[in-house]
Amino acid sequence: MDLLTFSLDNIFLLLQQMSVFLVIAYLFTKTPAFRSFRVESLAERHMLSLYLIFSVFSILGTYFGLPIQDAIANTRAIGAVLAGLVGGPKLGLAVGFTAGLHRYTLGGFTAFSCGVSTTAEGLIGGLVHLYLVRNHRQTLLLSPQVAFFTTFCSEITQMMIILGLARPFSEALALVEVIALPMILANSAGAAIFVSIIRDQQRTYDELSVLFSAKAMRIAERTLTILGKGFPEHGAEELAQIVHEETGVGAVAITDREKVLAFTGIGADHHRAGQMLTSPHIIKSIEENRIVYADGIKRSWKCALSTDCPLGSALSIPIRVDSDLIGTINLFETKDTIFLGLNKTLGEGIANLISDQILHARYNEQKNLLVQSELKLVQAQINPHFLFNALNTIIAVIRKDSHQARELLLHLSNFFRKNLKRTTDISTLAEELDHVQSYLKIEKARFGDQLTLEMDIDNNLLALRLPVFSLQPLIENAIKHGISQMFAPGIVRISAHRHDANVVIKIEDNGGNYQEGGPIGLGMNIVEKRIKSLYGETYGVEVTCEPQVRTLISITLPY
Amino acid sequence: MIRALIVDDEPHAREELEALLAETGVIEVVGSSANALEGIKAINTLRPEVLFLDIHMPMINGFEMLAMVNQEVMPHVVFTTAYDEYSLKAFEEKTLDYLLKPVEPERLTKTIGKLQELLRSSSPAPAYKVDLIRRIPCLVGQRVRLICLRDVEYISSGVAGTQVHTADEHFYTEITLKALEERAGLHRCHKQYLVNVECIQEIVFLTNGAAEILTLSNHKIPVSRRYLKNLKQKLLL
Repeated sequence: MDLLTFSLDNIFLLLQQMSVFLVIAYLFTKTPAFRSFRVESLAERHMLSLYLIFSVFSILGTYFGLPIQDAIANTRAIGAVLAGLVGGPKLGLAVGFTAGLHRYTLGGFTAFSCGVSTTAEGLIGGLVHLYLVRNHRQTLLLSPQVAFFTTFCSEITQMMIILGLARPFSEALALVEVIALPMILANSAGAAIFVSIIRDQQRTYDELSVLFSAKAMRIAERTLTILGKGFPEHGAEELAQIVHEETGVGAVAITDREKVLAFTGIGADHHRAGQMLTSPHIIKSIEENRIVYADGIKRSWKCALSTDCPLGSALSIPIRVDSDLIGTINLFETKDTIFLGLNKTLGEGIANLISDQILHARYNEQKNLLVQSELKLVQAQINPHFLFNALNTIIAVIRKDSHQARELLLHLSNFFRKNLKRTTDISTLAEELDHVQSYLKIEKARFGDQLTLEMDIDNNLLALRLPVFSLQPLIENAIKHGISQMFAPGIVRISAHRHDANVVIKIEDNGGNYQEGGPIGLGMNIVEKRIKSLYGETYGVEVTCEPQVRTLISITLPY
Repeated sequence: MIRALIVDDEPHAREELEALLAETGVIEVVGSSANALEGIKAINTLRPEVLFLDIHMPMINGFEMLAMVNQEVMPHVVFTTAYDEYSLKAFEEKTLDYLLKPVEPERLTKTIGKLQELLRSSSPAPAYKVDLIRRIPCLVGQRVRLICLRDVEYISSGVAGTQVHTADEHFYTEITLKALEERAGLHRCHKQYLVNVECIQEIVFLTNGAAEILTLSNHKIPVSRRYLKNLKQKLLL
């Protein structure tokens, strides 16, 4: 036989057995073990299963080999090199040694050299792995090109080892001349194809999870506004529609603990909102507070309302807020459709999402209520003292100047009317200043020369929006705790100006009596809290105090 | 006519009360003060028989101000307040009366009736049970500094009035030596000196029977023969 044709025959034979190999590789990628397997993050338990899998591959490679001149032309190298490439030097060495030892026991004049060379091939794969990881090029671990060249080099090494170790040398040389080309090419191509199968399968899974995440994200985004409005009494209809559209299941139902709140999809002709719960599955899910799944194969879902109902499988998931079960979300498929596992997972995720969003909405609502009630408290607290002082002042003024007394009464009336009328949360700077003006007119009359007011407001800012009652408590503080505690004449300065993208409103008094944690705190804390909750953490109220010289309160707002 | 002093930080409140008191025809308002320090000064110089005293005033409130008035010039006191009658009731029953602002003329007439009766029986002004003075208000320019007692080394009185001496500064105060001796826990060592016993470093006995105190920050103050015995007792000498 001509040497060259013999080699070509060998290549085809080797390619044939490699095909058997690749089928096994393909089957491997379909196993559950493969799904949790990621080259970038291998755990110890993965290592063990990889060791077993690659060792079996490698040993099978030996068994499928062709006996040539008392030696075996084979694809043993693929298992060892790939083990090293995927799992690092340790795994490569272990697999190489195992397969090598196995080969050694089969005997022949190359038994020892083949055993050594297989171990070496595992090590070479491992070293390439190490090199790629050290250079942060992990993505190349599953590159067909890398697998090809690594195996290529490994096989050349193997041939050298055979030449170096097998005796007699003349026989070794004759053998290598025959098997070198087919083995090098077949093993390299096999490794490259093997790797590309693994990679493609992983890509498919990744794409599926991207699709899945995208769906979940889209549902989250679309449901966010609905769930804030007092779900499940409101928004159940819209929620059912969104889930139906995004998951593409046959039908979606939302229930509370007693009745159906919304039903969308197939079967909507006889399943309607407002019906009492009849499905034993849903009732069971509520009673036992757990997910109930009727897959339509082992356990089928039967409609209790109509025998013609096309629905045949259902997933019922309880919606919990804190630990209270407030209802269920149910996904249905028709009798002739298989309930996708993906939709089952998605359904469970949606139920969690809904619970979280409801919780968040409730938390926000309560926070707002708290601030509102605190605000009311402050309004109620301040007024009696101010009213008494104002009345005393006006009574005294009547005696001397009835005209001024009349004006002060108008201001007092304006101040209280504004106080009562303010039910909204947001007001403008102009409105706030009007409210404050009335207050200040009365305080100015009360303190006489003891109080000087200086206003410096940028007129372009009068339409600026800010939380209602932001200024009055702070100005009241400046007078009550600042000016009225001074022997010397007091000055209150109020200014509002733009600073780049912000507006800074300053309230300054020359009392300098601010004390951290003192009585000034409450009103100011509320103003601070409301500004932060409206505009974010970068805005708010800041106090600087030079004792006995001045107290400066700065409110920073977005322009 | 009964001589009255009004102490209130709000100008309108003072004017209103002044007008109401004038209408009674039995009260002569001899002065009105806008804060506690002016009030103490006015009491010491004008010697009113009755004091209409606001409770809420800057820095030193009405109660604190009473603690700084000498007992021998203490007038009868009528508190005036807009809303704080609870703290007043707790203060002392011996207070002649209290008026709620805005003051009703009928209510004021009743108060004045009580006052006239008290003055006819010529009973001395009650010794109001006042708190100890913990901080001494001193005028520094237009401001008031409240000096903590533990920072005070000694107090002297002279032509320039009462001076409060700390380790390295001294301040003028309206409060008399006598009020400070009675209510601030300072010890008399000389007709014109009070000493903070905590701040005595040395006492040097002189040949004439008198002595000299060296304070912690090396100020020398005289101890007269008359007060030396008391001082020795105080120090367990």
